[in-house]
Amino acid sequence: METATRATELPGELRYIQYEHALEEQYLPAIRALISKDLSEPYSIYVYRYFLYQWAHLCYMVSILCSALSLGPNLDLECLLHIRRALHPDDGSLIGVIICKLEHHASHSPATHRGYIAMLAVSSAYRGHGIATALVKMAIDAMSDRNADEVVLETEETNTAAMRLYERLGFLRSKKLHRYYLNGNSAYRLVLLLKSSMRPPPPLLPLDSASAAAVTTGGGSATEDARPVSPTH
Amino acid sequence: MDDGFPPPPSMSHPGIVALDITDKFASAVKTLPPGQIVKDGHFTLFESVSALEIMDPKMDSGCLEEGESLDEEYDTARDLLPEEVLGIIDQLLCLEMAWHLGYPLSQTILTSVYVEALLRDPNAPLSSMTFLRDSASPAKQPKFLFVLRAYCAGMLRGCHCVNEVVKDELYYEEEDFVTNTYDRNFLSHIEMAEVIALLQATRADLRELSNDVPKDLALALDLRLELRIAFLRAMELFPLRKSNPDSLKMPWIQMKELMKHFKKQHALAKAVPEAFSTKMQRRLASTMPPRPIVHLSFDDTYTHFEQMFQDGKDAMDVLKYVDPQSLLHFVSTFQARNPQPLVFIRTMTQGLLFKDMIVLGHHSIRRILDDDLAIVVLPSARQLDPANDTIEVPTDPRHQLAVQMETFRQRAAECYLDLFRIFCQNRCRVRRTLCHSIQQWDHLQADVEEIDGLLQVCLDEKSLTTAMGNIGHSLPLSSWAYLYKLRQMEWIVQLGFELDVYQPDELAGMYWYLNYLAKTRAQHGDRIKTFVLREFTAAQESPSWSQTKERNFTRSIAYIRVTMLDAACTWEFADGLCCLYTVLQRLGLVKTPSRPYSNDEHRYEIRMKPFVNIGLPQLPSFDDFTKATAQPETSITELLKYAENAVGGAKKGYEALSRMNDLQTFSVGCHDRWLANIKGCQKSAIFAGLAITTLQKAIETEGENAADLKLKVELPQPGKGYHDWWIVPKLTPKIES
Repeated sequence: METATRATELPGELRYIQYEHALEEQYLPAIRALISKDLSEPYSIYVYRYFLYQWAHLCYMVSILCSALSLGPNLDLECLLHIRRALHPDDGSLIGVIICKLEHHASHSPATHRGYIAMLAVSSAYRGHGIATALVKMAIDAMSDRNADEVVLETEETNTAAMRLYERLGFLRSKKLHRYYLNGNSAYRLVLLLKSSMRPPPPLLPLDSASAAAVTTGGGSATEDARPVSPTH
Repeated sequence: MDDGFPPPPSMSHPGIVALDITDKFASAVKTLPPGQIVKDGHFTLFESVSALEIMDPKMDSGCLEEGESLDEEYDTARDLLPEEVLGIIDQLLCLEMAWHLGYPLSQTILTSVYVEALLRDPNAPLSSMTFLRDSASPAKQPKFLFVLRAYCAGMLRGCHCVNEVVKDELYYEEEDFVTNTYDRNFLSHIEMAEVIALLQATRADLRELSNDVPKDLALALDLRLELRIAFLRAMELFPLRKSNPDSLKMPWIQMKELMKHFKKQHALAKAVPEAFSTKMQRRLASTMPPRPIVHLSFDDTYTHFEQMFQDGKDAMDVLKYVDPQSLLHFVSTFQARNPQPLVFIRTMTQGLLFKDMIVLGHHSIRRILDDDLAIVVLPSARQLDPANDTIEVPTDPRHQLAVQMETFRQRAAECYLDLFRIFCQNRCRVRRTLCHSIQQWDHLQADVEEIDGLLQVCLDEKSLTTAMGNIGHSLPLSSWAYLYKLRQMEWIVQLGFELDVYQPDELAGMYWYLNYLAKTRAQHGDRIKTFVLREFTAAQESPSWSQTKERNFTRSIAYIRVTMLDAACTWEFADGLCCLYTVLQRLGLVKTPSRPYSNDEHRYEIRMKPFVNIGLPQLPSFDDFTKATAQPETSITELLKYAENAVGGAKKGYEALSRMNDLQTFSVGCHDRWLANIKGCQKSAIFAGLAITTLQKAIETEGENAADLKLKVELPQPGKGYHDWWIVPKLTPKIES
């Protein structure tokens, strides 16, 4: 499926970059410009900073460096300029970004170390080349290295491409969230479990002995999930 | 002002000591580079998402374009043609419906300059609410403005009622509906009768103007005023739950009829788009960024209103109470309508059910709960005899019974009533809330089993020995709780299918689990039946045997029969689909993604999370689940044979159910919806049977190699199958390219 859509080759070399806080001035405007394209309502700068201040290590960017070949033989200067200006918000050199967080999530019993993919965007001209998948993999690997129990996210119910991407990697839809987004669309919560928290149950009783005799169980009831991020707020 | 700063405000209050911190602040911010923020630990994601950037036109509602004025300059005293009045009214109808669908008032009704003008003074009497800024004499006002004024008053008072109905019941703010009025008073201080009188008078005045307005246009305006009256009448009537439900329906029927005319008349309207503006949002008590006006087409608006009025009418039938099982069927089938009734109807239904803790305006919660116990587990039982309450001697077993049963009711009432409320939520919430509810019922079952233990001593109940051996005591209360818990667990899985939560390669496993739950319910039903029949035999031999008792036992036995049949249908159909999907997976016709970051065990854990803490029925281990689903020792031919029989059995079961009447199926008052549901299941079973046959034939001629089968497997889009709970694959010959 994925390869079938790769009709054209990418016009340059991809460079995957880890976000660095010291370079906020260079990076953040480009990130905002890229992500805002896919949003009906803009996020304030605080939303970006909320994630990037605390989890810069879980943010990855992709830029494209135009190869001399694709620009033609006489455009060396242009190409050089392009590289120097890399990640300028207007020049389109930032083509993908993923922003995440990872923290202890206590409203569940037992509490989990929960990774959360807050934003993922790939410039529309570069979709279908596996760039988003690569970004998600990098983020999952980074969260996994930091001992995440699970990774969760929400995606719009109409965004079948995103759901396919995540589901191919192993995410499951755990619940549907009614009118989750400002535009009135519903969402799915997607979950990827990295570590098991379930104690193995004892062997199953034969069905015919099932009686009304109750087995008293411990374990409190799970409370509702908080709604971590959505453009609805 | 020469230094560019406004002067400090003059503060004179003994409690206020004003300090000018301008300099301190200015020097403090100099230490921050532009764009930097000071963040403390309390600045959470929620705060960051709610934060706005000043001077960003997409976030700052006060940010003006060059030359743009802050306020809307539309003059509400301007003259309007009658077709323009109609245009504004129809636009208001669209906005009102958008509000019902979940958009805030700030993006809908409150964008109207006329509404804003009318609500200027929150405490004004109706007579002085006008569109005119000065108190110009009514004679001077534009000719047709009075129609719009009355319409707006009726609409706003109606919206106030809707808001109150919604706020009184369980709904999810922002997710389902936005009740925020941004400090605007929607005529709450004015009696409905006064508004209705204004509308009536306006209709009469409009008739006086018949020479100045084309007839069809005058009629269109008149019918819109009539709609507002009918709506307010509906709001006046529905709290009178003791009245005849058919009379409560009248305004709803009337509104639906009126709506039919609206559709044709809309062509006469002339839109006045400048009478609506997002600038109105600046005056609202809100920190929200400016958001666009929601545009719903008139056709969509019409369709939604028509459905709303139909649903409102149908909701009144809930008051025709016969028995609690029919009531539960009524609520669950009503709410399963597609499209689901709007939140206003869903909350109104909750009000009809439970307002003031009086069920349906007549009954105590005890009555409903005892009725339910009498049907499900305790026909004509001594525990439920109201006379027990009159015994005051503590040593008398009847006193003990009364005390224990009251303890039970205290413990069970909330869980039980919640079931009805859960079904009045949006479908996603129904599933999510049921996941929590089963935990409550699991605890309830354990708790009331203790009461069962005490009661069986009072009643001197003997344990029962059958051909199967000793099957213990009847434990009616925990049996009752267990039955409800099992049914809810099935609903969770079934709603998972409805909401498209499962991926294609999960279907085999989820249908296996559904089959496991339904089978457990059928077996549990059988256990209840055994004890009810024991009581039946004993009661028949007793001198106090009566026709009433016979009726009660017959009703109970009928209930258990239909429950077991329903459970058996689910069990068989789910089993059949499990086998079919297992075969399709073995053949590679349903593909499994590579999933490099996951394994089967982890996904099982996510999937079964709602059930992992449930004591009974115990969650199958991953290995048991995998083996039961994949059935590695069974051949494809055998699996398909098995699927054919199971689906055939389900089909026959649904046929039998569809032939039963409303009394036998406990669907009194909702039999048409109940039957439509069964027919949908039956149709699904028929098509599942066809899919199995197609596959069997293809394998017979081409063998078990997927490539040779030349079959294409299609799963229906969500909501497009014959029944949302039965995902039946369609197998068609693959066209060679």
